[in-house]
Amino acid sequence: MRKSIYTYAMLLAMPVIALMTSCEPRELTEDDVFVQESSLDQILEEENGDQGYKIYDLNEFLDTFMTEEGSFHSDTCPYRERSYDATHGIYLYSVDTLPTNGAGIYIRGRITTDDYAGNFYKAMVIQQIVNGEQQNLRISVDLGSSAGMYQLGQEIIIRCNGLAVGRYANQPQLCIPSYNNNIYAMNASQKVGWCPGRIQGSVFRKATRMIGTPDAKKIQVDELTLADLYTQIALKPTADAAGMDAVRKMDGRLVRLKDVHFTGQYDDNGTIKNCDTTDPDSEGGGGANVFAPSTQNIGYPQSRLLGDQGSNKLMCSSSEYAKFAYYYLPGADKNGVTNCKNYEGTVTGILGWYLDKASDLAQGKLDGYEWSVTPRGIPGIGVMDIDMKDTHDEPWVPKEYDPKAQQE
Amino acid sequence: MRQKLFSLMAVLMLSVAVMAQTSLKGRVIDDATQLPVVGAKVTLANQNISTTTNAAGEFSLLYLEAMDEEMLIEADGYVVDLQLINLLENQVNAMDDIVLKQDIVSQAQDEILLNLTEEEMTDDEGRSQSQASSSSASTDVFNSNTSFAWSTARYRNRGYSSNVENYYIEGLNFSSQERGQFNYSAMGGLNDASRYKEVLNPMEATNFTFGGIGQSTNYMMGASRYAQGWKVGAAGTNRNYKARVNATYSSGVMNNGWAVTAQLAYRFSPYVDNKGIIGEGIKYYSLGYFLTAEKIWDNARLKLITFGAPTERGQNAAVTQEVYDLTGSINYNPYWGYQDGKVRNSRIVKSYDPTVIAAYEYKIDEQQKIKAAVGYHYSWYSNSALNFFNAPDPRPDYYRNLPSFYWDGQIANPNNETSAGQLFDENGNHYPWGLFIGEDMKGVNLGSGFVGDDGNLVGPSVDKDMYNNLVHLWQTRDNKTTQIDWENIYAANYANNANDAARDTITSARYILERRHNDIQEANASFNYVNEQFDHLRMTLGVEGKFSQGIHYKTIDDLLGGNQWIDIDAFADRDIKELASNGGFTQADIINVRKNEVAEDYDPIVKADGRRYGYDYRINMGNAKVWFQNEWTLNEVDLYYALQLNYSMMQRSTNMLNGRAWYQTKIAKEKALAGEEIDPAIYYGHKAYDQIEAAQAAGQLKSGTTYVGDAHHFLDPAFKLGANYKINGRNHLKLNVLAETRAPFARDAYISQRVYDRVLDQIYAHDNAKSLKDFYAASEKVVSADLTYEFNYPIVRGRVTGFFTQSWDGSELNGYYDDEARTFVNQAMSGIGKRYMGIEAAAAVKLGTYFTLTGVASVGDYRYTTDANSITSAENGMPMTQDKSTKALVFETKDKVLLKGLKLSNGPQANASLKLSFFHPKMWFADVTVSYHDWNFLSVAPSRRMQGLYTGVRVDGTDVNGWFGDENANAIETTDGQMLRVTVDEAGNAMYENAVLDANGVPVLKYPYNLMTMQESLAATNPLNRFLIDASVGKLIYLPNRQSVSINLSVTNLGNNTHFKTGGYQQARLPRAVRQGEKDYQNSIITANAWKYPSKYYYAWGANFFLTVTYKF
Repeated sequence: MRKSIYTYAMLLAMPVIALMTSCEPRELTEDDVFVQESSLDQILEEENGDQGYKIYDLNEFLDTFMTEEGSFHSDTCPYRERSYDATHGIYLYSVDTLPTNGAGIYIRGRITTDDYAGNFYKAMVIQQIVNGEQQNLRISVDLGSSAGMYQLGQEIIIRCNGLAVGRYANQPQLCIPSYNNNIYAMNASQKVGWCPGRIQGSVFRKATRMIGTPDAKKIQVDELTLADLYTQIALKPTADAAGMDAVRKMDGRLVRLKDVHFTGQYDDNGTIKNCDTTDPDSEGGGGANVFAPSTQNIGYPQSRLLGDQGSNKLMCSSSEYAKFAYYYLPGADKNGVTNCKNYEGTVTGILGWYLDKASDLAQGKLDGYEWSVTPRGIPGIGVMDIDMKDTHDEPWVPKEYDPKAQQE
Repeated sequence: MRQKLFSLMAVLMLSVAVMAQTSLKGRVIDDATQLPVVGAKVTLANQNISTTTNAAGEFSLLYLEAMDEEMLIEADGYVVDLQLINLLENQVNAMDDIVLKQDIVSQAQDEILLNLTEEEMTDDEGRSQSQASSSSASTDVFNSNTSFAWSTARYRNRGYSSNVENYYIEGLNFSSQERGQFNYSAMGGLNDASRYKEVLNPMEATNFTFGGIGQSTNYMMGASRYAQGWKVGAAGTNRNYKARVNATYSSGVMNNGWAVTAQLAYRFSPYVDNKGIIGEGIKYYSLGYFLTAEKIWDNARLKLITFGAPTERGQNAAVTQEVYDLTGSINYNPYWGYQDGKVRNSRIVKSYDPTVIAAYEYKIDEQQKIKAAVGYHYSWYSNSALNFFNAPDPRPDYYRNLPSFYWDGQIANPNNETSAGQLFDENGNHYPWGLFIGEDMKGVNLGSGFVGDDGNLVGPSVDKDMYNNLVHLWQTRDNKTTQIDWENIYAANYANNANDAARDTITSARYILERRHNDIQEANASFNYVNEQFDHLRMTLGVEGKFSQGIHYKTIDDLLGGNQWIDIDAFADRDIKELASNGGFTQADIINVRKNEVAEDYDPIVKADGRRYGYDYRINMGNAKVWFQNEWTLNEVDLYYALQLNYSMMQRSTNMLNGRAWYQTKIAKEKALAGEEIDPAIYYGHKAYDQIEAAQAAGQLKSGTTYVGDAHHFLDPAFKLGANYKINGRNHLKLNVLAETRAPFARDAYISQRVYDRVLDQIYAHDNAKSLKDFYAASEKVVSADLTYEFNYPIVRGRVTGFFTQSWDGSELNGYYDDEARTFVNQAMSGIGKRYMGIEAAAAVKLGTYFTLTGVASVGDYRYTTDANSITSAENGMPMTQDKSTKALVFETKDKVLLKGLKLSNGPQANASLKLSFFHPKMWFADVTVSYHDWNFLSVAPSRRMQGLYTGVRVDGTDVNGWFGDENANAIETTDGQMLRVTVDEAGNAMYENAVLDANGVPVLKYPYNLMTMQESLAATNPLNRFLIDASVGKLIYLPNRQSVSINLSVTNLGNNTHFKTGGYQQARLPRAVRQGEKDYQNSIITANAWKYPSKYYYAWGANFFLTVTYKF
C-alpha cells in the first residue's frame, strides 16, 4: 500500500517538477535590442547576400529616387489637381516607389523629433551630418506616439526596399503611395490623387533597426538669426525646379534661431492678427495668447509669429496636442500680449516649408508664412527649446493659462 | 451480479407481523467496487415518491401502495437504472443489492465541461464571455443532454446570463455578490470535488435556497459520498492544456465514523508556439487540491472541506474576421510574441481560490432536520496586460495594423451619391475622376468603385504592392507583424532610460506589463430547517448571510527594462490642462504629486515589487436572506410556495486618493458655493473625498488610509409558487411562477468605480426615497412562469416546457474608447427590460437492449423589450461636452440607448440535437451527437445606438459632435429648428415615427440607422456549418480485487467545423473623420464606414479530443 502511494506520488511529481522549471524567456538587454555599430556591416551583408547593399546619404537618396513628377499618376489616376502647376512643371505632391528586390537600399540618421509639440505625432525627422552639414528627411509612419518608440537622439537605419519616397505639400519624405479621396476635406475634389502616405507600423518596425542607445547630444543644431536664415533660404522661392529643390533640401533642418521674440500674432486663415482672445478652450479661441489653443479636437496645426528686431518674421508651429499648448507665449499673460516684445532669446526647432496649392506658387501669392519652425518644448516641458529673457535679463518663466486667474 | 434493465424482479417477502404497512428498502452499490453508492435517488414512478441513499447506500420508502411499480435509480456518474418491481401489500419489500454501473462517458464530459467553463473566463475580472452551463450530470433528460452537447455552442439555459444562476456548495452561496457569477477556477481540474451535485430547474422547489429564474446547483462534497480506494488517472488533450494527471484517495466510512477523501490534480501545458493550433501562445499550469473529511453520527454529520487550485495560464482573445481570414486560423492569438526566441504571452492569469467549509447536519427526529454551514473563500484573480504611455499601441491586431485600415478612406457617403453614381464634395464640386483607384489588392478591376456588401463603394487606399506586402506579412504570420514585438518594447524603454539620463529627468517607462487584480474574499453562513411533522407537508426555513469584499488594484509585473513608472492617467494628462498643471490631479494617488514629468515630489515605481498603483479600492458587500417554503405532497397534486426577503448592501472604499475624483468634487463644491445648479446625483457619493479634504485641512493626509464612501442598502422581496398535477404516475403537468425584485450587482451600480463613488441615478433615488416606487427604482423587477409536461414510460421519457420571463429596470455597465471625446469612457445603462420566452423539449427512447436515441430541442426568443437610459462619463474626468446654451462644461452626458427589439446575445436561441447512445453490459459505452444551433446574435455596442447619434441632440439636451449622414441630405426640421441629418436608413426605410416628439422636440426614432447598428447573426452562412458533431467511446475493464481501468475518448466537433461562431461583440468605437477645411468646415463627424472598427468574434474550437485513462484500486 505504502509502495503504491510512493509510486503515484512520484508519477504526479515528475511532470510538475519538469514543467514548473521550464524556461521562461529571459529579460532582454540593451545588447539584444540595439544593433551595435561594429556589427552593422555584417548584419547588412547577411541580410542582402549576393545582392549587395548601399547606405545612401539623405540628399543622395532623394536625388536618386525622388522624381519631380513622381510615378503615381495615369489617365485614370491623374495628378492631384490642387498641387500641380503645369506651366512650371511643379509638383508639390509626388510619390516614387523604391525597388522591392535587388540591392538593399538603406538610409540612416538620428531622430531629431519628439512629439512634445504635437506636430510629429505620426512622423519623424532623421538627421545625417555629411561633411559637417545637416541633411534631413521626414519619415511618415502610421504609429501613434511613434516618438515613444523611436526617440529623440536615436540613430536608426532603414531598409527602404518596397517603400516609397515622395513629397507632401513639397516636404520630402520616406513614405508609401497612398490614394487620397478624403471626401470630408474642404475642396475635396481638388485633393483627390496619389500622395505620400504613412508607412504601416509593423512594416516600418520590420524595416528599421536602432543603432545603439539614443544620444541627443550628437544632433547638430545650426545657430543663426532670422536674417542669417533668410540669406540661406528664399522667403518666397521661385516657381521653378531650382527654387523648389532649394526649399526641399532645407526642410527638416534643425535650427536655433537667435535674437527672436514672439510678436503676439497669429495667422488667421491668411491674415495676421493679434492674439487677443482670452479663452483658448472656446470655439472662437483660435487667437488666444497661448502657443496652441483648442481646435475642438480637430487637431490642425497652430502657429504663432516670431520676429526679430528688424522686419524678419517666421511662424512658430505647434498644435493643441503640444505639452505646452496652453502655456502663455513668452511675455503674454491674462492681460494680453503687450509684453511679448520684451522677451527675446532663442527658439530651437525643425524648419519646414509647407504649400499644397500650386497656384499660389505660380501666381506669386506666397506670403512667406509657408516657412515655420516647430519647437519641441519649453523649459520644464520636454526639451528646452525656447529660451528667452526680458529686458532686465530675467529668464522667462513659463506659465500655463488658468481660467480662474483670467477671471480675477 | 449483472442486472438487466426492465427485467421483472421477484421481490423477497419478509413476514414482519408488526408492520401493517407497505414499504420498500434496499441498498445501492457500485458495480466495480461493490461499495455503497451514497446519495443515489430512488424514485417510484407511479406513486411519484422518491428518496436518497444514506452513507451505507441504503434507502427505504414507507407508506406505499401495493402495486406494480417502476423504480428509477439515478446517481451522479452512474448509468440510470430502471427496474420493474411488484410491491406486496403490508410487507417490507426488501430488495437485493441494486448494482449501478459507472457512466464513464458522462464523467469525462463533466471534466471537459468544467475545464471549458474555466477557460472561457476571458476578461480582466474573470468574467466569462459566454459561460457554459455548469450542470452536466443531471437526471433531467433535457439538462443531461444539453449541458455538454451544447456547451461548444455556448448555449445558455433559457438565454439567461450566468448571474441569475445560483451556485451553492453544501448549502452555502458561492455566486459572487459583485457580479453574480460562480468562479469555476476555484475547482480547476478537481473533477471529483465537483462530481456530486443537485441541479434544480428554474423556479422549482428547492431545499437549499429560494432559487430564482435560473438553475440552482448545490455541490455536495461530503467525504462519505466517495467510494473507498484509490483512483489515479491521466488525460491527454489538444485543448488549452495538454495533459492532466490526478489521484484521489477515499477512505470510505471508517469504523470510527470518519470518512476522508483527498484529490490532487495537475494540469499543464508548456508554451505552445505552433501557430494555428488550439492553445497557440498559451502556457498552463494548475495544481488543484481537494480535501474533505466527514464524521458521521447516528443523527448528525459534520463535513470539513477545503479545496483550491493555484493556476497560471495564458489567455487568448477574440479578433476580427479579417484577422481570422488573414491568418487562416480560428486559433490565432494576438497576445503573445517572441522574446529571446521563446514564446511570451502578455496575458497571464494567476488565480487561486482557497476555500474552507464546515457543514453540519442534525436530524432532530424523523420529521425534523437542520443543516448549518459556514465558509470562507479568498479568491486571488489577476491577469497581466501591457500598459503604455506616450508610445505606440503594442497590440498586433490593432486596427491600424490591418490591411482593412487602408480601405478606410475609400468609403463613399451614400447620401452624396446621385442616381448616376457621380459624387460631389460639400461645395457641390464634382469629383472628376471618381473616388476610387482602379484595382483592388488582388488586381481586380474595380472600375469606378467596387460595391461592397453594404452597398457602399470601396477600395484600398494604398498602392497594390504595399497592400499586398502587408497582407503577405499577415498571411505568412510574420512575427513582427502578427505577434507582440517584445524587442521593440524593450528598446523603447531602454531608449527612454538613456534620454532620461541625458536630460537628468525621470519620465515614465514607455511600456510596462501590469497586473490587474480583482480579488474577492467572502465569508458566508447558512442555516436550513426542514419540518415534516405534518402529513403531506414539508416546511423549510432558510437563513443565509454573506459578507464579501471585492478588492481591486493594479501592480507591475515587469518594467520591461524601464527604470520607473509614474502613476498618472495618460488621458487625463493629455486632455485636461487644468489637471495636468495643477500638481497631482492626474495622479491616481495624489499623495504622489508630480508636475509635468519634472522630478519634484513624486514617487515613481522603480521595481515590480507589488506596490499598488492606478487604483486601489474595495467594494464591501453584505447580504442576508430569509426564506420560507411550504410543499404539500398530495395524491393528485403537489403544491408549493416560497417567500424570500433579501437584504443587501454595497459600499465602496478607496485606499488611493484619486486626483480626478477630487478634482470633480472641487468643481461640484465650487459650483454649489457659487449657487449654480448641479445634478445632485452626479456629485452624490463623494463622502470619501470629503474625508480626504478634511484630512488635508488637518494636515493628516497620508497614503494608505482607507476612505469609505456611502453605503447603499436594498431590501428585495421574492415570491414563487408551483404545482405538480399528476395526471397519472407517468404523466405530470407542472407549473411554476415567480416574482421578485433584484438589487443591482455592485459591478453595475457604480459608473466609474475605479475612480470614484458615483452610483446610478436610480440608486440615488433609492437612497433618498420618499415613495415605494423610488425605493425600488434601482432594483430589477422580474416575473417568470413555466409550464412543463413530463412523461416517463419504460421506453420513452422526457418533457416539454414552455417558459416566459420578463424583467424591467435592469442595469449594465460598459467601458470603451470614445472617439468623440477621444478618451476611455464608462457608460452605465439602466431601465433595461428583457424578455425570455421559449420552449424546451426532450425525449429519450430506448431502442432495443443496447441503444438509446435522445432528441432535445430548445427554441426561444430572448430580447430587449425597452430602450435604456445611459450616463456616460470619461474615466479620466475630462468634460464630455459643453452645454450648447451656457457653454458650461458637461462631465456626464445622458441619452437614450435604442435597445428595444434587439436580441440578447446569450448564446444560440434555436438549438436541437439528436444523440444515439450505446451501452453494452460488458461495459462498452459510445455515443454520437449531432447538434444544430441557430439564432445566435452579436452583442451590440450601446455606443452605436445612442439616440443622439441620429438626432444630433442627446436626451439631456447637449449636442452631439458628429452625427450620421450629411447635413444637407434628407434633413428634417424639429420644432426648435434643430436639423436632423438622417431620416432614412440605407435601405430607404423611414427612421422616425410620425413626428412623435420627445422632450427636446426631436422626433422619436423608430429604429436607428441600420448600417452602423444592425445586429448581426452569428449563424454560419452555410446551414451545414451550423451543425456540430460530438462522439465518445469508453470501456470499463474490471480487474481482480475490485480494481478497474476505464478508458474514454471524447471528440468534440468531430467534423472540424471551423465556421462556427459562438459569440462576438460589436466594437464600441465609432468611425469618425475630420471634416477639413480652411476654417468653417472643421468638424468631427461620424462616417458611414461601418467596418473601420469591425466586430470581434469567438469561434468554437475545431476538432478536439480528450482522452482519459483512470485506474481504480
